[in-house]
Amino acid sequence: MKSFSDYRKYMTILKLDEAEIQSRRAFFTLTDEDLQRLASLRPFAEKVTEEVVEQFYSLLLAHPETRKFFEDDATIRRVKRTQREYFLGLFAGKCDREYVEDRLRVGAAHERIGLAPKWYLGAYRQYLHLILNALQAELKDEERVRAAFQSIQRIVFFDVSLAIDTYIAANAEALVRHQQAIRELSTPVIRVYDRILLLPLVGAIDSIRAEQIMESVLLHVVEAQAKCIIIDIAGVPVVDTRVADHLLKTTAAVRLLGAQTILTGITAQVARTMVQLGVDVSTMHTLSRLSDGIELALGMVGKAITTAAPPAPASPSAVTPPVVGGTS
Amino acid sequence: MIRGQIPILRIGTTLLATIHIELRDAVAEAFQADVLTTIEKDGAAGLLIDISGLDIVDSYVARIIAETGRMAKLMGTTTVLVGMRPEVAATLIRMGYSMEGVLTALNVDDGLELLGHIVPKQRGA
Repeated sequence: MKSFSDYRKYMTILKLDEAEIQSRRAFFTLTDEDLQRLASLRPFAEKVTEEVVEQFYSLLLAHPETRKFFEDDATIRRVKRTQREYFLGLFAGKCDREYVEDRLRVGAAHERIGLAPKWYLGAYRQYLHLILNALQAELKDEERVRAAFQSIQRIVFFDVSLAIDTYIAANAEALVRHQQAIRELSTPVIRVYDRILLLPLVGAIDSIRAEQIMESVLLHVVEAQAKCIIIDIAGVPVVDTRVADHLLKTTAAVRLLGAQTILTGITAQVARTMVQLGVDVSTMHTLSRLSDGIELALGMVGKAITTAAPPAPASPSAVTPPVVGGTS
Repeated sequence: MIRGQIPILRIGTTLLATIHIELRDAVAEAFQADVLTTIEKDGAAGLLIDISGLDIVDSYVARIIAETGRMAKLMGTTTVLVGMRPEVAATLIRMGYSMEGVLTALNVDDGLELLGHIVPKQRGA
C-alpha cells in the first residue's frame, strides 16, 4: 500500500534507529517513569477520548482555514477515528520503533494534504489545552495534574518533533524531485540541420547548470558529429562574468572536439554589460539574432539560404498544400 | 625507447597516427620521435592524430600532443587533432588546458577536409 511506504521511508531518511530514538527521548527528558505514568493514565484517556476529540474538531471546524481540510462528513468521521487512536496512543506507555513509525505517519499525511505546520502547531496547542482541562476535571489534585501534564507534554513534544522532521524531509524530497525535472528540461539540444545543433538557454545559469550544459553539449556534438552548435542566450536574464566564463569554457571544449560554437541572442543590454565587465568573448562567434546564427552555421557546413526563384503571384492556388501520400 | 608502437600511416601527403593505447611516458616520447622522423624522411603536408580511442588524456599527454603539433609545424606540417571524446574535452577544460593553437576536427574525414582547405592556402596555392 502506498501510504505505508510513504511514511516508512522516513524512518531511513531521518535515520531513526534505536540510538537516535534514545537520544531524542533523552533530550525531551521522556523517561521510563513518564511512560509508566502515561500508561497508568490509560483509564482516564479512555474515558475522555470522545469528549476531547469532539471538542478538538469543533474548534478546527470553527476556523475557516482549518475547516477547508474537512470536506465532508465521511472525512470528518475518518479523521475523528484516527484522532481517537492517536490520543489513546499517547497513553500506551511505549516509545519504541513501532511507536515512532506510527507517529511519522502524522507528518507525512499532513504534508500530503498540504496542511501547513502553523495549523498543525496551532491545533496541537488547543489539543493540549483540552487535555489539561480534562485532567483538571478528572484528577482534581493539583500536584497529580501537574505531574501527569508534564509527562503528556514530553511525549507530545517528542511527537511534534517527529512530525515536523517528516514535514521537512517530505518538502526537501519534493524539492529534489523538482530540481531533477528542471535539470532535465534545462538543456534541450535541437538538431536544426544536418550537423548543426541549437541549444536555446532559458533561465539563470549557475555553476551546476553550467556543468550540465557543457556535458550535454559535448555529448550531443559528438553524437550528431555536429560541425557547429548555436547557443542562444536570449532567455538568460543575467549574463555576468561567471556566466560568460562558463560559456567560454564550453566553447573551448567544443573546439577540442573539432566543432565550433556560435553564441546568439545577445541583446543590447548583454553586450553593454559584457564590455563594461571586460569579458573577452573574442574566441566565440557572437551574434544578436538567432537567424543570423543559423545562416553562419549553414555557411560552416557549406550551405546557404537563398531566395527562391521568381516570386509567384500571390494567388490562393500558390498556397495549396501538396497532396499527401499516394493513395486516392 | 619503444619505437613503432603507434602506427603512422601515409595517405597521399597526409600522415595518420591513430593512438589506440594509453600514452605512457616512454610510449609518448617514442611516438613523438616516430612522427618527427617520418616527416623528416619523407615529408608530409598534414598530420592527423586520431585520439578517438583514448578515454583518458592527462595533462602530460595533452602537452606531448600539442608539442608534437608545434614541432611538426616548424617542419612545415600542419597537425589536426581528431576524435576527442566528450569526457576528455570536459576534463581538459576543467584542468584549464584548452590546447590553443592546435587544430581540431570531429573525425578523420573532417580532419582530411580541414587539411585540404588549409594546406593549399599555406603553401600559397
